[in-house]
Amino acid sequence: MTALVRAELHKLFTTRLWWIMMIVMILLIGISLGFAIGSAGVESNGLSTPARTSPEWLELAWSAGASGSIFVMILGVIMMTSEYRYQTVTGTFLATPRRTPVIAAKLVAGLIVGALFAVAALLFETVVAIPAVLISGGEVSLTASHIPQISLGILANLALNVLFGIGLGALVRNQIAGVVAAIVWSYAIEGIFSSFPALQPVGKWLPGGAARALMSIDIDTGLGRPDLLPAWAGALVLIAYAVLFAFVASATTVRRDIT
Amino acid sequence: MTAIEIRNLVKSFGAVKAVDDVTFTVEAGSVTGYLGPNGAGKTTTLRSLLSLVTPDSGEALIHGRRYRDIEAPLAEVGAVLEATSFHPGRTAANHLRGLCIAGRLPVKRAEEALGQVGLADVAGKRVGGFSLGMRQRLALAGAILGRPRVFILDEPANGLDPAGIEWLRGFLRHLAHDQGAAVLVSSHVLSEVEQTVDDVVILARGKLVRQGALDEIVTGDDASVRVRTARAPELADALEAAGATVERVTEDTLRVRGLDSEAIGQLALDRRIVLTEVGQERSDLQKVFLELTEGR
Ligand SMILES: Nc1ncnc2c1ncn2[C@@H]1O[C@H](COP(=O)(O)OP(=O)(O)OP(=O)(O)O)[C@@H](O)[C@H]1O
Ligand SMILES: [Mg+2]
Repeated sequence: MTALVRAELHKLFTTRLWWIMMIVMILLIGISLGFAIGSAGVESNGLSTPARTSPEWLELAWSAGASGSIFVMILGVIMMTSEYRYQTVTGTFLATPRRTPVIAAKLVAGLIVGALFAVAALLFETVVAIPAVLISGGEVSLTASHIPQISLGILANLALNVLFGIGLGALVRNQIAGVVAAIVWSYAIEGIFSSFPALQPVGKWLPGGAARALMSIDIDTGLGRPDLLPAWAGALVLIAYAVLFAFVASATTVRRDIT
Repeated sequence: MTAIEIRNLVKSFGAVKAVDDVTFTVEAGSVTGYLGPNGAGKTTTLRSLLSLVTPDSGEALIHGRRYRDIEAPLAEVGAVLEATSFHPGRTAANHLRGLCIAGRLPVKRAEEALGQVGLADVAGKRVGGFSLGMRQRLALAGAILGRPRVFILDEPANGLDPAGIEWLRGFLRHLAHDQGAAVLVSSHVLSEVEQTVDDVVILARGKLVRQGALDEIVTGDDASVRVRTARAPELADALEAAGATVERVTEDTLRVRGLDSEAIGQLALDRRIVLTEVGQERSDLQKVFLELTEGR
């Protein structure tokens, strides 16, 4: 099993995709952080966003790391669909004809890569957001704020989103369709269900909603407090989704003819 | 133990019976050509043998068991399927290293195999820039990674230039005849395999139409002998009197059926007729193949 996980990691790290995705993710988080720095403490419609020196500001800024989820999801989709696109699945199943362990190894490799992406995102946030607070004269206290919990949420969120991607990829097999589905899901569907208060009772049960619950960012940004599950329930929902996607990935692959 | 055994194999895709009750075996130390026109079901048979396709019924076994039940498949079976099954962005060496890791083989086998197929110089190059022939060699490198004793090759000569085909022929003969491997190689270009294979299995529209040693098949039942002599009419009469069927090909050449070369020579000697040429006529495999697969 460890050999199979190593083989999957080898496959991922011997093409350029992973670092392109990582750079794009860091860029996007950088833009979010820049926006958070620029708009801190601004008043509009009588409401003001938290000031850079406040713990709330750092928590909000910190949660930008979760926006990496779309990239790791796409990474997961491509990990799976490029096997079909380039027919490398033939060689994969020739080396290991028992397919369930192959899929399990892919999922484990996906978790590892997702965690690596999360670590990269968190390191980037550390070197950008914390100096921003200190320069503005604020203080950073990791224990007093939600930062550790948000970090854990980002870690779980990114790691699990690779699994969602792998499951989605196994289901659709077509690379373009898989990537488009991932984008539509993350931005359109999750977006709609998380922003409209009327839809939030449903949205909190979706993977994105559950991930936000795990980070439990309970800050009013002017749209009212979001309707979220408790953190522990968010974690359970995410694990349930992970199991579901792992099941989908293996069920759609194990019996299929590779022609 | 029989290296490769296909028994009553049946596989349909929807309404298409791709393989319809095919049975044959391949023994160690021999090269078997698996021949058939496009769509005959060759690839489907080979993929069933490799557990990539699940047969509807029948069995496809290697050393008596299914591929998916083999503990270390790369060390037992080497396979070449499509030339395109590489990620274009990965280097040749990294492609093979990945297989080594998954197959629990020493990673240094990747470089060794690349050297064996003549790709050592491009080990660090991305496969996307490879020609069809280079990809085919890379696929062969993948097949020999685990030093297996059974080879299953689907049209391995595709895309190889004449020198490459010559090299492949020598390579397959070496594997079978010197190393005792069992080699099953499919093709629809008969001239590619004619000089390489010991046995042939001919398939058309999913059904097995002929199998046997190559010599038997190209010689056929109505083997004929070509004879040249200045006294052709006289010899023809004598042969016909002895029960042979004689056909005048040219002024001095006869095609004789029903008597073998030795009997013809004896008869000529008895009559003190000088023979300038005696030869067994082999019908061309191409012709046999077309006859056997036509209209099916
Ligand atoms: N995945 C599939 N879905 C539907 N039909 C298929 C599939 N794979 C093969 N077939 C059909 O099965 C038949 C046999 O195909 P196969 O690829 O085994 O032939 P082949 O002998 O390898 O041909 P070629 O010489 O062209 O490679 C063909 O009619 C083909 O259309
Ligand atoms: Mg074929």
